[in-house]
Amino acid sequence: MLPFSIEIRPGLPIAEQVLFAVKKAVVTGQLRTGDKFPSVRILSQELKINPNTAHKVVAQLVDEGVLVTTPAVGSVVAALALGDKRARAELLGPELERAIVEAKKLGLTAEDVQAAVAAHWRKLSDSSKP
Amino acid sequence: MNAIETTGLTCRFRQLEAVHSLDLTVPAGSVYALLGPNGAGKSTTIKMLMNLLRPTAGTARVLGVDSQKLGPTEFARIGYVAETIDLPEWMTVRQFLDYCRPFYKKWDVELEKTLLKKFDLPPERKIKHLSRGMRMKTLLLSVLAYRPDLLVLDEPFSGLDPVVRDDFIRGVLEVSSLGNWTVFVSSHDIEEVERLADWVGLIDQGTLKLAEKLDSLQQRFRRIEITRASGISTPTRKPAHWQGWEEAGALTRFVETRYSSGETEKLCAEIFPGANVTAQPLPLREIYLSLARGDAVPEPASSLR
Repeated sequence: MLPFSIEIRPGLPIAEQVLFAVKKAVVTGQLRTGDKFPSVRILSQELKINPNTAHKVVAQLVDEGVLVTTPAVGSVVAALALGDKRARAELLGPELERAIVEAKKLGLTAEDVQAAVAAHWRKLSDSSKP
Repeated sequence: MNAIETTGLTCRFRQLEAVHSLDLTVPAGSVYALLGPNGAGKSTTIKMLMNLLRPTAGTARVLGVDSQKLGPTEFARIGYVAETIDLPEWMTVRQFLDYCRPFYKKWDVELEKTLLKKFDLPPERKIKHLSRGMRMKTLLLSVLAYRPDLLVLDEPFSGLDPVVRDDFIRGVLEVSSLGNWTVFVSSHDIEEVERLADWVGLIDQGTLKLAEKLDSLQQRFRRIEITRASGISTPTRKPAHWQGWEEAGALTRFVETRYSSGETEKLCAEIFPGANVTAQPLPLREIYLSLARGDAVPEPASSLR
């Protein structure tokens, strides 16, 4: 079993979906600093995905500082990166835009959206506490 | 290095041209899915690659060797699985594996044992008494055990139940070693293929309509939905790369085959002033259907690699 939740859907590139799932798991506390991350082989077999894709995912996660690779141990989850906050906020751009477009379509106001965001924020913060 | 390379590969049965001047390139280390409807020429292509069928014209190189000169050295590095392969029906599964083992220097007894357990195969049962799924698993086991460099699977999933299919895919991934392991698979099962493949070839009526990296295919196809502003009628100008045009009320829907974030939106805004535009990624299944129905859309040169 993989130590994070994921359900692969057809359509979006697999690598993107796995990357997103892992980052989400880190944010919600399913994966904690120092946890062992599955190897490329395990990832590929469990998700039934191309080993090249699995390799790409792990490389990207190491690149982004989500994982650190240590010889003999393999990959482990890194301490939450504290880099440039604005740069990290930009990562959210496309997701925010999508949410705002949907909100406008539904006729919601900025306040409605903020309230919804706050509610979701609380929900995820609660579940990440040990 | 390419694991498979064909130039002008053609196969004619009397009047029928089953495969027409196929130029196929399967890079080493890729999982290449050959998709196409029944009778498209998938199996014929594979049989030519495996030297079971002589091409009428053209050539194929498999692992760097002319397909018509493939011999024991090459076949020890190739694993070929197809439903049409004859098995010695009177042997038990164990006898069959005992029989195969001496042919391969690289045969991995440990892997054989692991897979036998994983595949849940009855070693003492005669092959003629195996179910279809067990048969396919036995065959797969007999090729995976020598860890082939090239795995050629002809319609491996058809008629397998979900559990067996899962076993099958896990088995295939079991021997994967990054970099030099190539899989060439023909299939109908687009959902399974979408997870596994990094290259997709689409063949129809013996002709290769498209060969592209799955990534780039998924990047350039989007379902566009446009809610036209009131008073704006449907335009007369439709770019050729917009396909499968549908309209109902204020809604226009089509498939953009050359999506590029920003560019597409700009073009939509020019053609449909003031409209609300959404772009959704397409599952491979939808891409396949859109390609199979419409004319093949040549990929933009920039996506070729």
